[in-house]
Amino acid sequence: MKKLSLIVFVFFCVLSLRSKAQEESTTNEKITELNDKVNGLTERLATAESDLSKLTKIKVSGYIQAQFQNFENPAIQPGNYWNIRRARLKFTYEAADGIKFLLQPDFLPGSVSLREAYVVLNDHWTKTFSLWAGKFNRPNYEVEYSSSQLELLERSLLIRTLYPGEYALGAKLEYKGIEVPLKLQLAMLNGSDGLTINNASGANLNSNDNKDFDNLKDFMLRGTYSLALGNLGALDFGAHAYLGLLKSNALKTLSSDYSTIKDVKVGDAVKRNWLGAEFQLFADVLGGLSIKGEYIAGKNASIGYAPVAASGTTAAVPGVANFQNNFSGYYIYLIKNLGKKNQFAMRYDYYDPNTDINGKDVSIKKYTSTDATALKSKTSGKSDLATGTLSIALHHYFDDNLRISLCYDIVKNEKVGATNAVVDTYTNNSGAKGTLDYSNVINQNVLTLRIQAKF
Amino acid sequence: MKTKNMKKLAIVAILLGFIGFAFSPAPERITVKGSDTMVILAQKWAEVYMKSNSNVAIQVTGGGSGVGISALINGATDIANASRKMKPTEKDKLKERYNTMGVEVACAKDGITVYLHPTNKVKELTVEQLGKIFRGEIKNWKEVGGADAQIKLYGRENSSGTYVFFQENVVMGDYAANCQTLPGTAAVVNAVKKDVNGIGYGGAAYAEGIEICKVKKDANSPAYAASTETIAKNQYPITRYLFMYLRNRPTGEMKKYIDWILSPEGQKLVVEMGYFPIK
Repeated sequence: MKKLSLIVFVFFCVLSLRSKAQEESTTNEKITELNDKVNGLTERLATAESDLSKLTKIKVSGYIQAQFQNFENPAIQPGNYWNIRRARLKFTYEAADGIKFLLQPDFLPGSVSLREAYVVLNDHWTKTFSLWAGKFNRPNYEVEYSSSQLELLERSLLIRTLYPGEYALGAKLEYKGIEVPLKLQLAMLNGSDGLTINNASGANLNSNDNKDFDNLKDFMLRGTYSLALGNLGALDFGAHAYLGLLKSNALKTLSSDYSTIKDVKVGDAVKRNWLGAEFQLFADVLGGLSIKGEYIAGKNASIGYAPVAASGTTAAVPGVANFQNNFSGYYIYLIKNLGKKNQFAMRYDYYDPNTDINGKDVSIKKYTSTDATALKSKTSGKSDLATGTLSIALHHYFDDNLRISLCYDIVKNEKVGATNAVVDTYTNNSGAKGTLDYSNVINQNVLTLRIQAKF
Repeated sequence: MKTKNMKKLAIVAILLGFIGFAFSPAPERITVKGSDTMVILAQKWAEVYMKSNSNVAIQVTGGGSGVGISALINGATDIANASRKMKPTEKDKLKERYNTMGVEVACAKDGITVYLHPTNKVKELTVEQLGKIFRGEIKNWKEVGGADAQIKLYGRENSSGTYVFFQENVVMGDYAANCQTLPGTAAVVNAVKKDVNGIGYGGAAYAEGIEICKVKKDANSPAYAASTETIAKNQYPITRYLFMYLRNRPTGEMKKYIDWILSPEGQKLVVEMGYFPIK
């Protein structure tokens, strides 16, 4: 019996040991299997990380501005409406350290346009120079200030007139000091971006946004310096110059005061030169305040066209002279934070498109052609009147993505001396005709309620 | 809408604007966000300060210096902790949104410590060697007097101030593509602890259970480990300031809190937590 018990005991021990050995072997197999799985996952993670790191070089940002506007000018019909002001996406790709590509389309109902597209090469050695090529903001403070951040919702009339559409095709060399807070920008631009240059039949010769109108290039130079004011904040100041040329398409150029006309040839250069001075004061006063301003003066130009002789049954078309207008203008901002979420802003901007003619003399000053079949006479008019705009805005930032703004523009035009000398006729919403006489101040005030989502 | 109504609206807007000149409430709740290197120090400051100032609630989170500065610009935090200086582009954004230049407060010093596995034969490296290692130009430990084994690199994400500072002052170029990025200094320390061939970098306060590599300014200089003495004497070559950034000059409770951090009491906690005081 004892023997039998011993045999059974030994049998169970062997069985148990075998089972334990089997268990150990299974555990070892499982550990090896798990190790392989972990190694496999680590490899896959490393591959995924490597792929992901390429994707992090692409940055997408953008904003949509939806707004309601009420126009007090009866000539604007409809007088109030909702619209999408801007719907932009910005794609930035940093291909390598120091090389950046940027593409920014603007999507509006019925149209898509390319706002910005450029390549930037940063110098690796001094880390202070960068070379830009493509379509980018012209070097000017208000132009370079992001449209999503504008405190008065739109840029001043002066800047909108001088730099239509803000962006221009060309190349730019930029110096940004590391130790010295100095920034210098030198740009060579096509110079015709956003301009309308009509021929005798009314067609715009400058309709190709991706080409220059002529072989003449424009140059812009801007320098800014940032002066630290200790605990108070900082004062940034600078100046810029625009040296531009446009090809004459006419045989005459009329002076700004409509008094003299000179002969030119088609293809001659017509100068557009101006100088500007700017400042921005940032003061750490009661939660943050800034005062910014800029003054620009110089000579702008518009291009006319040469007369067209009669041909067969087509009648002759008299030419229009090029026009060089001396202008000046300025803007000044006051911006004040109201706590973390609200902001108040006020701006006065003034633009006089013709400093050689007072408002009262508009419609009196004129050039009368001696040969009306060769050249149209030209009289000063609405485009020579100065405009002053006081804008007031309040913003509420719900978070870093959402901003709601209320802005009111009070627009005041320069008055013409003679009654009914410069008028706008219009048909209102109910079909009645009306006249706006610029011997008075025309009510052109605009109220804008804008909601902006940004990411 | 009638013109008169518009003008009334404009007057109301102006009045509201001017009210802002006189009224700018000071927060009783202070949010602090940013540098992961500083997070344990910032939490300690907040914890100790709130014990004796029960009227103030201080909330501290990490995320990295870049994240903290972005939050400051977006109005999502009152204080941004940063282990690097604010970049000019970030200052420009703050100017655009808040019309101020920001306020920089240097609140502690830190020596960026190089972590090695305790079994690693290498005990000291020059700044140049470290640069070559993290650029991927030195790939094997035997090239710097260690075992014949491939070097494994561990570093921080690019939103980290430590990443930026180490890149600008030591790497002086692009990090090697095989440098594994980890979320936080503690993760870097853990990775080096487990990897005999690993090397990482981060704040001195986190260096536990690993070997601290002594650093030489150049081949002819003596090697130093980060310590209060070597940092105070500017001997340790990878030393930096730790900053707090604010949108405006502090007032009210915020000013009291900042003043306390810079006081002997606040600076004592700096030493206790493994960092180095500013004075």
